[in-house]
Amino acid sequence: MQNTLLPFLPVVAPLLLLVLAACLLLKKEKGLSHSKQWAEAMGWTGVALSLTSIPVLALYGPLEKALIVSHGLGLSLRIDPLSVTMLIMISILAVIIIRFTRNYLDADSREWVFLTRLLTTIAAVELLVLSGNLFQLALFWIITSICLHQLLLFYPDRPRAITAARKKLIVARTGDLCLLTACLLLYWATGTGSLSELFASVPASGTLSTPLTWASILFVMAAVLKSAQFPTHSWLIEVVETPTPVSALLHAGLLNAGPFLIVRLSHLMEASTSASLLLIAFGGCTALFASVVFLTQPTIKVALGYSSIAHMGFMLLICGFGVYSAAILHLVAHSFYKAHAFLSSGSVVERVKIKRIKMPERIRNPWRIALAFASAAAIYVLCCYLWGIDPAGEFSLMATGAIIVMGISQILVPPLDSAGGRNVVWRAMAMAALVALSFFSLEHLASSLLASQIPETEGHDPIVMIATILVISCYAVVIWIQSQAKTPQAGSFGYRLGIHLRNGCYTNILFDRLVGSLTTIPNTTRQATLSKTPSSARSFTERR
Amino acid sequence: MQVKEHRLNIIEVRQKLKSACSKTAPLWPLENFVAVNPYMGRACENFGQAVHRLKALAGIRSTLPMQYYLDALRSGFISSKDIDEVLRSTSTYKAPQDASEFLNSLSHGDSPKDAPLIKTFAETAAECDGKQWQRFAIDCISNWASAYFDNQQAIWKTGVSEVGLFAAWKLEASIDRSPEIMGLKGFRNMVKQLPDDPFQTAKLALIALDIPENSIETYLQALSLRMPGWAGYAAKFDWEATLNERDGVLREEFLAIQLAWELCLVNILTDKEYQEAWKNSLKTMSSYVTTGYHNETLNKLLLLQEAYDRANQRQLIAQLNTSTPASNTAVQARVQAIFCIDVRSEPFRRKLEAANDGVKTIGFAGFFAFPIRYEPLGHSEGENQCPVLLTPSHHIRESLGNTAEEYHVVAKRELQRQLSRAWHSFKLGAISCFSFMGPVGLAYLPKLILNAFGITRPGPLPKTQGLTKAQSRSRNVSLEQHGAYGMSLLEKINVAESALKAMSMTEKFSRIVLFVGHGASTVNNPHATGLDCGACGGHTGEANAKVAAAVLNEPLVRKGLYTLGIEIPDTTLFMAALHDTTTDAVVIFNRENIPSTHLGDLAELEEALEMAGESCRRERAPRLGITQGNIDHKVYERSRDWAQVRPEWGLAGCSSFIVAPRERTASLNLEGRAFLHSYDWKKDEDFSILELIMTAPMVVTSWINLQYYASTVDNRTFGSGNKILHNVVGGLGVFEGYSGDLRPGLPLQSIHDGKVYQHEPLRLNVFIEAPIDEVSKILERHNTIRELCDHQWLFLFGINAQGEVAYKYVGDLEWETV
Repeated sequence: MQNTLLPFLPVVAPLLLLVLAACLLLKKEKGLSHSKQWAEAMGWTGVALSLTSIPVLALYGPLEKALIVSHGLGLSLRIDPLSVTMLIMISILAVIIIRFTRNYLDADSREWVFLTRLLTTIAAVELLVLSGNLFQLALFWIITSICLHQLLLFYPDRPRAITAARKKLIVARTGDLCLLTACLLLYWATGTGSLSELFASVPASGTLSTPLTWASILFVMAAVLKSAQFPTHSWLIEVVETPTPVSALLHAGLLNAGPFLIVRLSHLMEASTSASLLLIAFGGCTALFASVVFLTQPTIKVALGYSSIAHMGFMLLICGFGVYSAAILHLVAHSFYKAHAFLSSGSVVERVKIKRIKMPERIRNPWRIALAFASAAAIYVLCCYLWGIDPAGEFSLMATGAIIVMGISQILVPPLDSAGGRNVVWRAMAMAALVALSFFSLEHLASSLLASQIPETEGHDPIVMIATILVISCYAVVIWIQSQAKTPQAGSFGYRLGIHLRNGCYTNILFDRLVGSLTTIPNTTRQATLSKTPSSARSFTERR
Repeated sequence: MQVKEHRLNIIEVRQKLKSACSKTAPLWPLENFVAVNPYMGRACENFGQAVHRLKALAGIRSTLPMQYYLDALRSGFISSKDIDEVLRSTSTYKAPQDASEFLNSLSHGDSPKDAPLIKTFAETAAECDGKQWQRFAIDCISNWASAYFDNQQAIWKTGVSEVGLFAAWKLEASIDRSPEIMGLKGFRNMVKQLPDDPFQTAKLALIALDIPENSIETYLQALSLRMPGWAGYAAKFDWEATLNERDGVLREEFLAIQLAWELCLVNILTDKEYQEAWKNSLKTMSSYVTTGYHNETLNKLLLLQEAYDRANQRQLIAQLNTSTPASNTAVQARVQAIFCIDVRSEPFRRKLEAANDGVKTIGFAGFFAFPIRYEPLGHSEGENQCPVLLTPSHHIRESLGNTAEEYHVVAKRELQRQLSRAWHSFKLGAISCFSFMGPVGLAYLPKLILNAFGITRPGPLPKTQGLTKAQSRSRNVSLEQHGAYGMSLLEKINVAESALKAMSMTEKFSRIVLFVGHGASTVNNPHATGLDCGACGGHTGEANAKVAAAVLNEPLVRKGLYTLGIEIPDTTLFMAALHDTTTDAVVIFNRENIPSTHLGDLAELEEALEMAGESCRRERAPRLGITQGNIDHKVYERSRDWAQVRPEWGLAGCSSFIVAPRERTASLNLEGRAFLHSYDWKKDEDFSILELIMTAPMVVTSWINLQYYASTVDNRTFGSGNKILHNVVGGLGVFEGYSGDLRPGLPLQSIHDGKVYQHEPLRLNVFIEAPIDEVSKILERHNTIRELCDHQWLFLFGINAQGEVAYKYVGDLEWETV
């Protein structure tokens, strides 16, 4: 095993992208038409290469390969279920996004610039997830954020894009600072940068030393800032100022760095109560805030932005609960979902037409709604029974289960609470059962896959348990209100709340003012065109 | 100055607002995106004057930059003769009389300043403190408007629709804290104290802003040009109200909101600095009102634009005059195919005629003179399928020709709709979305891949959603009278008669008469309906073609028509078809209803359609950038590609409207730039059909042409910007990016291919084959179209009996020989 080059294959994928980006940088526009074809080919090669890590993993188990390393710092490659899952996911997304870009940005005169930046960013994310030591992790963490900054300013003359980039800069640099400090603390406390050595040196139980506690807290802060958690989220929703593929890559790829970091360091997190509490606090608040704000947004891309913030919050929240495998399942699923949602965001107009089909109105009878909740719980318990799980047996499972029940109750509320006929109700029940079953299967799959990379959860800290219960009760209240809420009357409390929420509770505008968004200079020229040089018309050349 | 304003009474304020708002072009929602003339309401002014005015009021560009025309000169497209002619004919602009002297005075970089001469208070304030208050005001109003007008896109509707526009704004603005957080102290209180009546508020604002009475209109126009998007969307409701003979004041209310913002700003930003600057702005405004705005460079650009128009006319006229009338006009055609006047029909018609000389094509507005309101199966309300200038006369339902099956489909659609509501409340609901993701999110991976390869579309196609393939093939229309739906026999006969007469089709019917509606097939394209048929109000022509064919196939209708002097032989069969303008495929509907007697003809026709389509795709390919490989495959691929921003070129390039018998144009390759309306003046005894053509299709084609013109020359104001930044708002329009005004018009990608303009800014040239005296008489009767012609918003030409372009309209009902 020591001599085989096989484990190094996946790392070739990002390198290929980097080589292509470098070629483009040299040849500029002239290299574009070839590079576009190459980019997609490289993308598929990347998928193939990342898949080779599955047999490697199956043969040798998790491994860390040092490239240039001294004192556990430098460049090293880590192949384990977590990094492989992330790598495969990113390479698939990359190829889809590259393919989308090919026609989407076709004939934009700066397309080559875009492609260069896009390829570099993807490569940086891939190298981040493959990191085998702290130094590399921090390095690529920072590089991804710099690349993203470049993509954000792809249209450098858009005032909103400038504002968003400014906000992002502040948030990202603070996050980088947190991460670097945390890494230094960790290195200082344990004397190694290698992840596998680190995992081994973190005490499985008992209290952490002060530097380690601080490191865990700073890691959480870095993740919170990276994943646009409340109240630092406002740059993310303005990223719609860049081409759609950037949004897709950002929401499906880069934001994940936060939860990824937490799961990567789950041994440390699990040992630190303060880190768990922080995760629950930030994640729980953000998830609630953003998923409610999402409902009020009338523009598709901004709505999707809030949805991403919410899901990132939820992932951090369940990391706080200690169910890391569920967080990774959520992360992967969300990435595919969100990439699709962004790339297909132009289709929303068609949905307006389908909504014209007649439908019975909601009755809004609390008893019927309560019946829906009871049925959801019954379905859940039934599925537990079928799967052979004692739903009350384990605390974290109970917590996640409660959230699942709340979710599937929402499938049942509209059919049970309207005069739509039995057919609809039965089908909705079947849908709910299917969702519950697939939850258990996928959950089981994820936790057995990632078992080697995440700590065993043995008994919870009572404070964490209380926090968990608190969050879940809060969610239950919101779900209950949501399932009977109707459009509020003008001037009512609900109406006022709606306005505040649509404005994101003004965190956005406050941040705007702090960075002086009104003073960003608008575009100086009125001539909107797709090319840098003045254009003529097709007939000038044809008819000459 | 102070004393004068207080004489303003509320009726005057109302009038001034109304007059300013009459210049706001309505904007239709994306689900039926209709081309509208962005300069609507400005035709009372000369093109050149309007250009100056728009420049002064809002810094709007109305020509391309100097470089463009210099390129046209260098390439020889514009000749010095064109320049000479323009210099000679012009009297309004003071320009050198000699072409070479004029040309020497031009330089590349010449461009009038983009900053508007007339400034709002917000803009004036921005100059004092460097903060873009105008942009902020627009963002705030836009944020409110997107919730108010939201069409079921947001799950939690945070706007109220039960109160009026202004009242709704006032309600929200007295709650929303954004302006105060941005530093506008006391904004909410100030809003609360505004009168509930929009006009009273407008009056207050005009007084507080101290605007001299003579400048009020100028100021209001300038202000309304700051947000043409949402104002246009409001204007659309007023437009519909007017069609239904009601009074709409949404535009005025919207302008009052903009005024309220100005009022609050002027009351909050009270430093001396601001007030001084505002006084200066008012002075500029006053001097503009008295002396007007003149700009040397703008004059030069206008001259060049006119020379450019002339150069194009010269080439068009030369081309039309080379036309050789087709020889087989006397031969009875086996198929008559009626196409929409749309420019995209031209290449297809040419190819179809070439593919089979038994096919004769006719150009007519794509709703075939059947203005209907159409209701798809299971839908709760129908949509108007006719030009937006008309109100639909009949309410028609979709049908499958089989009640049991219809019942089944409706039940299925309703079930799916309910399940999708349930699923969405799970998938998108607060908190519940988290339990959606883990179990279901992975299913988006196959979806992502299938969509990326164009194998599936991101969402179902609304028109065939929930239908089996066989069912969607048998979709037809129901003419049966039932309550408000359907048509009576008498109605059918009347509509059929006027339609046939308008098409000049009262005799010599072929065995097959094909109504070819058109529509585009694109995926993931917010502006998809903009590529559909404008004459069907931004829908495909499918339903209208089906209704036309169904009505005319009814024996009783034919009997009725016979008594009116229109004899349709029993051997004639009417059919409906749809021309897919993206792929150039033509599908004939309801083939199973075609009697065996016509199956032979049908086979021949379908073969010709197939050949025409293929050859049309070949012709269009270079313009789509397809130079090699399997062209058919690539064209079809584009229509399924979710990342494609240029599935087809739409009407880009449109520059002429030819009203003449097909023989005049049949031998010409008009490159898909001409609207073609078949018209034979010899059959039009009282010239009522000509009157109809000039007042309806001519106006609509000019709207389309000016929409393209405006989106090309000033995409920032009249276009919708960069497609790759589009962010669909409220299910009805797009923002470019995060915020800003709702964007009207066409995306940049629809007019520009990244290297050159695919649409050239040329005003429409209308060629009519009819006695010019009759044309003049019609112009005299209709002031609106006369203004368009007199003021050079379009150019009018007469074709003489020999088929030559012989006359040019020069205004004031005068013609000159060409």
